[in-house]
Amino acid sequence: TYGKMDGLGASGMSAFSSDPKTQVMRQIQQEAAMQNARMLVEKLNEHCFERCVPKPGSSLSSGEESCFTTCMEKYMTAWNTVSKQYVARIQKESQQGGSGGSSF
Amino acid sequence: MDLASASPSSLGNLDLSKLSDRDKQELQQFVMNESQKARIQASIHSLTDTCFRKCVPAGTIKKGAGALDKYEEPCMRNCVDRFLDANFVVLRELERLRN
Repeated sequence: TYGKMDGLGASGMSAFSSDPKTQVMRQIQQEAAMQNARMLVEKLNEHCFERCVPKPGSSLSSGEESCFTTCMEKYMTAWNTVSKQYVARIQKESQQGGSGGSSF
Repeated sequence: MDLASASPSSLGNLDLSKLSDRDKQELQQFVMNESQKARIQASIHSLTDTCFRKCVPAGTIKKGAGALDKYEEPCMRNCVDRFLDANFVVLRELERLRN
């Protein structure tokens, strides 16, 4: 599911290069990917805990767990929708010369 | 992207001083691109956060309804567009107040 969401990654670098430049590039991409994953986990947890566990008990019920599954699916679908819409909007605005001057 | 937060030990072992000028330039361009991509990713996370709250009503998630329904999906898309429109208004007004 992370692959589905990574619309902005993948540089296609050779897997066999180990020169310093490629190492740095790979390192930077890994950091970015980790940062992205961290943010996603944080948001998923926050939203789905809010919705699925209104009154924390002594353990998570199976109902609460399946709510989590559904909630996560919903949130990630929302993420994909936002991602597509956002990227399309930036591309459109950059083509129009960006006279609006929004800073992305 | 905050490059300062990248672990120093992993990058510090690499000898960047021996890189050619062309390599250095390529790296610089690469870093700029990756920074921009990271900024966009962060914006998407923030937007999804905000719009999910607005568009997917609070309360228990219905069982098995993993996709966005016919109200939620357009709401999410409108939310993104309106947010960016609002961003433009903010910038424009700030500029006006400045002058």
